[in-house]
Amino acid sequence: MHERLRIELIIERMAYKRAGRILEEAGMTGYTVIPALAGFGNGNRWSRDTDISSSSDMVIIISIGSEDRVHEALDEIRRLLGAHIGVVTTSPVSVLRPDRF
Amino acid sequence: MDVAISTLLSPIILFFVLGMGAALMRSQMSVPEAFSKGLAIYLMMAIGLKGGIEMSKNPLTGEVALVLLGAVVLSFSIPLIAFTFLSLTTKLDRTNAAATAAHYGSISIVTFVAASEAVQLSGLVSSGHLVAAAALMETPAIITALFLAHKGAGSDAQVAGSESGELIREVLLNASVVVLVGALAIGWIAGDEGTQKVQPFFTDMFQGVLCLFLLDMGLNAGRGLRQGWRQLEPATIGFGIYMPLVSAMIAAALCLVLGMNAGDTALLMTLAASASYIAVPAAMRLALPKATPSIYLTLSLGVTFPFNVTLGIPIYIAIAKLVAGEG
Repeated sequence: MHERLRIELIIERMAYKRAGRILEEAGMTGYTVIPALAGFGNGNRWSRDTDISSSSDMVIIISIGSEDRVHEALDEIRRLLGAHIGVVTTSPVSVLRPDRF
Repeated sequence: MDVAISTLLSPIILFFVLGMGAALMRSQMSVPEAFSKGLAIYLMMAIGLKGGIEMSKNPLTGEVALVLLGAVVLSFSIPLIAFTFLSLTTKLDRTNAAATAAHYGSISIVTFVAASEAVQLSGLVSSGHLVAAAALMETPAIITALFLAHKGAGSDAQVAGSESGELIREVLLNASVVVLVGALAIGWIAGDEGTQKVQPFFTDMFQGVLCLFLLDMGLNAGRGLRQGWRQLEPATIGFGIYMPLVSAMIAAALCLVLGMNAGDTALLMTLAASASYIAVPAAMRLALPKATPSIYLTLSLGVTFPFNVTLGIPIYIAIAKLVAGEG
């Protein structure tokens, strides 16, 4: 098994394409976007059920890559989160096929 | 008064009240999200088609063009007034005031649909070109709001990951605009005869689907209000009630100048009074991401929409009758 870094970005749905572009430009080889149902943060509760425009929905973006690519992406994600609602974390993961990340 | 009471006691409004009451009492009832979006598309198709068919019956005249131009001017100018009120009476910062003002310059197509039903119930006549006015009023307010937000604030650095043209695509090609304008054009091209086969789907089922959709809107409005009311100070909530009346009165003055009939006056007043909760919130998340969505969404969906649907529309119809001299 081989060590890689995993980025988990919880971000508002309207900004997920911006986040995706950042990951692609940093050379990340792939990412997956998962819809979130409901949550609480910064004093606000939100839920997919209450916003017919879906503009305040949140999504989770998961991507795995080498340390240098992840750090390159994080520089831009920090800028993105300066404007948009979201949280980012990274964690070490083990992958079976290192050439894919 | 009878018309106002029968509007308030119509199944459409009562289902809305049921949904809102259920949400405020923390009922777990919900309408599946995808189904709800399908209902919204159906309603926009139906109202667009109906407007297009009506437009096909009459030629486009200079008077109609003036009404459409007036509608665009309203959408551009109402955010300026809303922004001034918000800046003077609330603690909202420039970005939040501009984002909120954009919602009040744009329109709510569901409020328009509910008003169309109420106008019909009142025995008034309206013309199809008000649907075109609704489509035209969706987006100009967003431009005014961006101008207001950036004026004096210097130029913001571009948001990371943003792409040129993404905001224009969102503003001009969002589902509301595409479906509404598309259905309007289809109804106009095909006309009454050409749409006979699809009319049962779009007319006979319309009232029932509207009841279902307003039940869901009631749930959305109630839950939005329950979750977001802490974000709103009393002055901001007050704005959500008086701003529709201010906008409606400006529209009434315009209708008086243009010599519009009572039905069209009531509908243009409703369009001016309504606040967007579909197209503009999405555009604001891209254009003004630092604005707080729980402020403008709660205000638009949780305060102004219920006010317009229950009390506003009967008020606008009564004023429209006086303005048009059909009282």
